Amino acid sequence: MNPLSPQFLFFLETVLLASVIFMHLTRKNFTVVFLYTVQSLIISGSLFYSSLMEASFLLMAAAIMTFLVKVIVAPFFFYRLIQKHRLQFSVSTYLNGPMTFIVLALLIAFSHSRFFKPLAIISPANGDALLLSMSMIFISIFLTVNRKGALSQMVGILSMENAIVSFAYVSGLETTAGAQVGILFIIFIWIIIASVFASMIYHYFGSLDVSEMKHLKEE
Amino acid sequence: MFSAFTSSIFFLAALTLWMIGAIGSLAFMKNDQRANLWGNFFAIFGAVAGLISSFLVLVFGSAFSFNIPSSLHLLSLSFNVDKLSGFFIFAISLISLFTSIYALGYVKHYYKKYNIGTLGFFYNIFLAGMVIVSSASSILFFLIVWEIMSLASYFLVIFEHKERSNIQAGSLYFIMTHIGTAFITLAFLLLYHATGTLDFEIIKSNIGAVKPLTKNIVFILALIGFGTKAGIIPFHIWLPSAHPAAPSHVSALMSGVMIKTGIYMLIRIFMDIMADAPLWWGVVILLIGAISSLLGVLYALTEHDIKKVLAYSSIENIGIILLGLGSSLIFWSMNMKPFAILGLTAALFHTLNHAVFKSLLFMGAGAVISEMHTRNMEEYGGLIKYMPQTAFFFLLGSMSISALPPFNGFFSEWLIFQSLFKGISGSDISVCWAFMLAAGSLAFTGGLAAMCFVNVFGATFLARPRSPEVYHAKESNVTLRIGMFALAALTLVIGITAGTVTNILSGVANDLAIFRSSPPAYYSTPLTVGLKNNFASISMPFIFISLVLVSAIIFFIVFLFTRKRKIKFGTTWDCGTTLSPRMEITATGFANSIIAIFRGVLKPTKQVSIKYRDENMRYFPKTETVKLGTKDIYRGYFYRPLHIFTIKVSEYVKRIQSGNINMYILYILLTLIAILLIVAV
Repeated sequence: MNPLSPQFLFFLETVLLASVIFMHLTRKNFTVVFLYTVQSLIISGSLFYSSLMEASFLLMAAAIMTFLVKVIVAPFFFYRLIQKHRLQFSVSTYLNGPMTFIVLALLIAFSHSRFFKPLAIISPANGDALLLSMSMIFISIFLTVNRKGALSQMVGILSMENAIVSFAYVSGLETTAGAQVGILFIIFIWIIIASVFASMIYHYFGSLDVSEMKHLKEE
Repeated sequence: MFSAFTSSIFFLAALTLWMIGAIGSLAFMKNDQRANLWGNFFAIFGAVAGLISSFLVLVFGSAFSFNIPSSLHLLSLSFNVDKLSGFFIFAISLISLFTSIYALGYVKHYYKKYNIGTLGFFYNIFLAGMVIVSSASSILFFLIVWEIMSLASYFLVIFEHKERSNIQAGSLYFIMTHIGTAFITLAFLLLYHATGTLDFEIIKSNIGAVKPLTKNIVFILALIGFGTKAGIIPFHIWLPSAHPAAPSHVSALMSGVMIKTGIYMLIRIFMDIMADAPLWWGVVILLIGAISSLLGVLYALTEHDIKKVLAYSSIENIGIILLGLGSSLIFWSMNMKPFAILGLTAALFHTLNHAVFKSLLFMGAGAVISEMHTRNMEEYGGLIKYMPQTAFFFLLGSMSISALPPFNGFFSEWLIFQSLFKGISGSDISVCWAFMLAAGSLAFTGGLAAMCFVNVFGATFLARPRSPEVYHAKESNVTLRIGMFALAALTLVIGITAGTVTNILSGVANDLAIFRSSPPAYYSTPLTVGLKNNFASISMPFIFISLVLVSAIIFFIVFLFTRKRKIKFGTTWDCGTTLSPRMEITATGFANSIIAIFRGVLKPTKQVSIKYRDENMRYFPKTETVKLGTKDIYRGYFYRPLHIFTIKVSEYVKRIQSGNINMYILYILLTLIAILLIVAV
């Protein structure tokens, strides 16, 4: 049973979904990272509240870990990357603004279509919030598809992970605290590797625009 | 008298002996002599155990089945040896016994050239693989051993890897056999999907619940898959390349029994597992049989590579077996079970016969090749003087494959003819035409096969030597002759005892659930076999005795009239010229008239290259070379267009691999959405 009320959960999911939509709209990398920080703060806050309600020390430790990795460490690495390589702006997308909006609208409509209505069975009280988190998953994947900048793609993947966590939280399908800590550790390692990898890419190609990396393809 | 336990013990002993043979050969790989002796002796012992086991099943009905549990739930090592399996195990063991004896001497010419240990290893694995394929009773286990058998035979095909053509032949075989396996896997997956089990026995009991459409798709997939292994036209293209490439005793096994595993599975699936075959299944098989038999023998006639002739002849004989099987399926669907048993018995009889005489012929060809170091028949000639016993055994094999009485080939073709004649007289016009076509094709095939082997025997053993190597040829090693003698004797023994063999094979047909309570349409005693409606009957012992008596009388009369004549040696009249091998009719020349008649099918080609004394003037030719051949219409009209289509599709599909990470993630997103939609729908 979720400790938060359905109305409040729906509100949080709306904010999370709005953050991903704003990620699509913004042209600044700083804003993308900031929006990710907001997402992560909401997720870790929700987990922390749950740990207090359930009086679970392990869950609290997982929430604190989430906070440290997603709200402190990940943004820190991304900000450093932006400053180091002067990547303040990342305006390159495959689709223009209106087309992006159309795709976002289609993805939200798809996740609210009859195909996903059965999901409400998982948590009947939070059916709408579940569909919003489903939309968030699709839109986060679409962020990695539409953006040419590697940094936006990295944030897109992390945003998708946040969306999956929020889906699990809303549906009450949370894993054990131990598993959550394990997942966080993997994310932590992934962030470090991705940052180093992005630096190396910049070093060799002089850009983090993935469409410029033609030499990676076998001719 | 003999329990199932006894036969299963011998069965396991056979597999164990072959495994010991395989591992021991590898262990002795540094010593050619030891590896040869170890590998082939254990192959012989294994074959004897296999023969005893299958004989007990066939004659005393000691069928058995057992299951060796595995930690993996789906992969249980399940064996089920009924009379049908027993028959094929008998044929495999019988032929492998004599090929292994033959190999003891034959393999010697590979010493110091190739690794004898690996030959022994793959040879024994191949034997075990074939036997397990014939006895596996679960889908997954069957597919694994089918693959083991195919891989072992592939490594045997490329054993002489220093010859580039062998590697190419092996690659073609590897590709074709795996295409076949893909179809087989699809067929089995469909059966699994429809019945929810991997066990053949349970599939058989649940087959009533399978939709007719599913059964029809399984039929087509299995026919292509197992037909590729059996070498039916147009899936045969690997066979004329792969069989000649392998060492001759392996060629004998591949042609004699390996391709029959395809036939075994066709019978098992169509007549045992999937009951109630519709009429069109039988018609399709009958037509494929008619086409394969006729085209197979025509291609054999155009070849001058002795092993390729035999390989094409295998396609012909597989066609003949399919004529029996097809007619059986048709009779069964028309509820004429006694005649269905006749067709099946004829198919099984020809399976055994072909195994015997084709192995004999491959062994004979191998003996010749090991002396001549070439497979080109145009370079042989007159070998009967240098290899008289080999020539005699080869002659018996040629007579048998040409369906001459009293040899075994004659009897099985006679049985198939009876089945086809009954089809013509006992069915309506919708099916009658297929039987008429099949009977006509078989009659043509018989005549052409006789011509083909007159050509092979004449070009190889008769007339004058056409190359200096012939003068150095020596009679085969004793183990080679023992192997050939045994099989040559069998062609005659099986022919004379056809009545008894027919009785045993009736038992095999009657052991199938669909025929269990039906009497066959024929009667068979050790002396006579005939149809119950008095349409025809035959006595093979009588034919044999008659032939012996007629020969003895002729010999006696000739002796009587010529005993006082003096033998005078002189020079052959040569019209004033000097006799030379160039005056002989060659294998190519012999077949030329047939090629001309069937030029529409065979598409003969002629390449002429001329070298001039003065390349600038080009008036006086120095040499002129004419190369005759036939166009490979299957490659030209079937495989090449398929190849071009596949390449075009591949080029198109290659665009998916754009190198752009965004595209890859888009594919993931689209796939995710598609899967979600499929699940939701």
